[in-house]
Amino acid sequence: MITRPTRRGLLRGTGGLVAAALPLPALAQGAAPPKPDRIVVNASGGAMNSIFRRSYFAEFEKLHGIRVVDTSPVDFGKLRAMVNTGNPEWTVTEIGGQDGLRAKALNLLEPIDPAIVDRSSFPEVARDSHVFISSAYSTALGYRTDAFPNGGQPKGWAQFWDVKRFPGARSLRNHPTDNLEFALLADGVPMDKLYPLDMDRAFRKLDEIRPHITVWWTTGAQPAQLLVDKEVVLASGWNGRFFELTRRNAPVATEFTEGSLKSGCFGIPRGTRQAYWGQQFLQVMTNPRLQAIYATELSYAGLNPETINYVPEEIRPMLPVAPGNLAKQFWLDVGWWTENGAKAQERWTRWMLQR
Amino acid sequence: MELSVQGIVRRFGNVTALGGVDLDVAEGEFLTILGPSGSGKTTLLKTVAGFEIPDEGAVFLGGEDVTLAPPRKRDVGMVFQNYALFPHMTVARNVAFPLEMRGVRREEIRRRVEEALRLVELQGFGERLPRQLSGGQQQRVALARAVVFGPGLLLLDEPFGALDRKLREGLQLEVRRLQRRLRLTTLFITHDQEEALIMSDRIAVMDRGRIEQVGPPAEVYARPATRFVADFLGESNLLDGVLADGAVRIGGFTPVPLPGLPPGPVTLLLRPEALRLAEAAEAAPCRGRGRVIETVFLGLSVKLRVQMEDGPEMLARVPLRPSLPPPAQDGEWLAVGFAPEDVHVIPRG
Amino acid sequence: MSSPGASRRLAGRRRELALLAFATPALLLLGVVFAWPVLRLLSLSVEGGSLEHFEKAALDGLYVSVLGDSLKIAAAVTAICLVLAYPVAFWLSRAGRIGAALGLFALLLPFWTSVLVRTYAWLVLLGRNGVVNRALRDWGLIEAPLPLLHNMAGVLIGMVQVLLPYMVLPIYAALLRVDPDLSRAAEGLGAPPWRAFLRVTFPLSLTGVSAGCALVFVLSLGFFITPALLGGGRVVMISMLIEQQVREFLDWPFAAALSAVLLLVTLAIYGLIGRITRGGRLEAA
Repeated sequence: MITRPTRRGLLRGTGGLVAAALPLPALAQGAAPPKPDRIVVNASGGAMNSIFRRSYFAEFEKLHGIRVVDTSPVDFGKLRAMVNTGNPEWTVTEIGGQDGLRAKALNLLEPIDPAIVDRSSFPEVARDSHVFISSAYSTALGYRTDAFPNGGQPKGWAQFWDVKRFPGARSLRNHPTDNLEFALLADGVPMDKLYPLDMDRAFRKLDEIRPHITVWWTTGAQPAQLLVDKEVVLASGWNGRFFELTRRNAPVATEFTEGSLKSGCFGIPRGTRQAYWGQQFLQVMTNPRLQAIYATELSYAGLNPETINYVPEEIRPMLPVAPGNLAKQFWLDVGWWTENGAKAQERWTRWMLQR
Repeated sequence: MELSVQGIVRRFGNVTALGGVDLDVAEGEFLTILGPSGSGKTTLLKTVAGFEIPDEGAVFLGGEDVTLAPPRKRDVGMVFQNYALFPHMTVARNVAFPLEMRGVRREEIRRRVEEALRLVELQGFGERLPRQLSGGQQQRVALARAVVFGPGLLLLDEPFGALDRKLREGLQLEVRRLQRRLRLTTLFITHDQEEALIMSDRIAVMDRGRIEQVGPPAEVYARPATRFVADFLGESNLLDGVLADGAVRIGGFTPVPLPGLPPGPVTLLLRPEALRLAEAAEAAPCRGRGRVIETVFLGLSVKLRVQMEDGPEMLARVPLRPSLPPPAQDGEWLAVGFAPEDVHVIPRG
Repeated sequence: MSSPGASRRLAGRRRELALLAFATPALLLLGVVFAWPVLRLLSLSVEGGSLEHFEKAALDGLYVSVLGDSLKIAAAVTAICLVLAYPVAFWLSRAGRIGAALGLFALLLPFWTSVLVRTYAWLVLLGRNGVVNRALRDWGLIEAPLPLLHNMAGVLIGMVQVLLPYMVLPIYAALLRVDPDLSRAAEGLGAPPWRAFLRVTFPLSLTGVSAGCALVFVLSLGFFITPALLGGGRVVMISMLIEQQVREFLDWPFAAALSAVLLLVTLAIYGLIGRITRGGRLEAA
């Protein structure tokens, strides 16, 4: 077979030649590489985006004079495809759900440069070498305050399972994550003894609650909508969605007891051209004043301990990272789920199909 | 079975398609409705078939009022303009269809289908699909299908329109023979006057939703009741004038003596073959001079357009014999004449 | 080559090629954006020359039963669409120009909104406290709200609504091509209107029926947003599992194997529909 030089190969070759012929760039001396006219930040979009634009994007553009272009949605498959084809379009991307560690394990991320991104005051859980924890959120219990007035809502999953004491239609997510933990907690497993999850025991416990679950929800908007429409009176859901309803004076509130904490992550796709400016962007994201804007609007607080001080006092109890709330909840073990997610999902689907 | 149509009125919005039509067709008679498109003849046919309910008037079939009866209750066989053969059924299935709908037993169906196909000379074509047949063959299948169940009335809606001339002439005679043999009362629709003249026992000429005249072909041709009929049926010279003192004056001719008729405005009809030219015109009672504008050879005859001196343009047709030279050249002046007996007088409103 | 027959054949061939040239841009586009990715995907499923993914798909009862359910749902949606669409298409084909234009406009109106929005609209309509249940309760027709949502009924309602136009349009097009004189002829020959319809108009519209069924069936198999939202989690379609494998577990080879199975089953059913309707269109003597 005759090997023919491809165009890309040629370009790369000449690029190398040119680079070799020129004096060494400033990079070698530790100074900033030349500024591009833009970087691309990929995130969930929607309301989150407009807040990003007002906080992190604005700050970054002001500091560095580089335009931030945003894209969405978050797509792990696309991230992998981009890195594997060697030309990530994103400078920085949000990484959905619990995929941060997986992305790191699959070698899809640039290491975070501690010389640029300062996370020294952050809690241990938020100082990963490749994954930037931008915020924490929780899968907690949303409830209708008219069905459970005066603090009469279930506190903890054992009470959620108690359909006699707390009657009414319920909703849980159509996914094993969180639900297996909730089932074990309901069955009396203490929060610090959850992992490794005992799947058999969890599914046995889930059998009990199944007839009382009207809806197994799929999208994050569903549990909030179900509560508003009175389809159900209790629903697990992402605390930010319930937060939004409470702030709009809907009769919906959040119970954080035994909530499942997770982190929202960002990372720099490996091989992206503007990796340096990606590091600079992450540094902007550590700013507690900016993190507080995000926390105040969406309740998803960043992990800079200073952040809470910039949040209005009445909002603080609604944040999953408020000191009182943090203690009532557990951190989801992302490692366990990375390892066992597919198996758990298969079993979940099978379980869902049992009639 | 005899058909009687009485005072049929049919309006579509503010268009009157049929403005009071009366018509009687005798048992076994072949009656043609002749008219230009838009004259209402198709609406009349649909009313007889039961696809249209008239706003006023009644339809009687065999003495029975069927005005409101659905098509299937009328015992009428119809051949549509485009034959309307069922494209997904074989020829045999098509012909069997009306028998199946009447619950005829299977062997009986087979026998009668075969017979009907033989009648239209399509034996052996039973298993073909309509699209595998020529236009003429399709036409004959449609005919077989329309007569196989022995209907009391056969309706033919311009069935030869899509066929070429030669095929059409053959089929016209075939249909006529079939109709005579079966003694089928037939209502035939066409806008082709020649076809109407060839096939019919009687012709009804329609215009603008009304029947202008009904009569045997020879009579309608020779003695049209209205100017429209005269003009529509065959070629004609129509000359307007006023009858006074037993004669009519027309520009370009000597006065036409028409004794015994009441005075008043009239239209004179002169068929082209009634005109005499050149020497033959010398002895004619009515004469004039004209110049030949155009000559058209038609094989057995020649047609001439002649511009009369101080008069109208006339159309003449003279027979040709191979031994004789053509009667005139373009641009030539000649004598034009006719006999008053050959003139048909149409009173003018 | 020099014989007249050969040059004539060549001329004919050239004409065919010229016709093909017109279709070339579309064919190229299809090839690049459709055929090539599909082939790539399928090749993923046999990565390393192993059939293990297919083995898993075939032997694990889960995937077989979900595929079975998906086919059943698709068949049900197709059947309901057919029953609802045929009268609509029939009416449209006989409605005259203005009626047909208005009807088609109404039919296509939902295309202006996204499937997601329409699906959410069903949540509002069909919920326990939704418009439908409230109306029924106010009229005293029911005591407790009907379970219209978060079950199979919800899924079927939502999918039928989205897919109905795909059934109506081909049937409408087929009925337009059926000469109205044919049913008139049948009636004139002694058929009551319903028999004229069954024996003549309906068989002649089968091309449209089969196109509509194939379209709706295939589209149904690919649905996952609507069943996920309206099924309350109880209805699982094979496309949902494929999406899960791609997006959540990044198990592309297995997803590819499932897709390949789905594709094969779809093609088989597509062929079957075609064969059935082709047979039905011609009546045996």
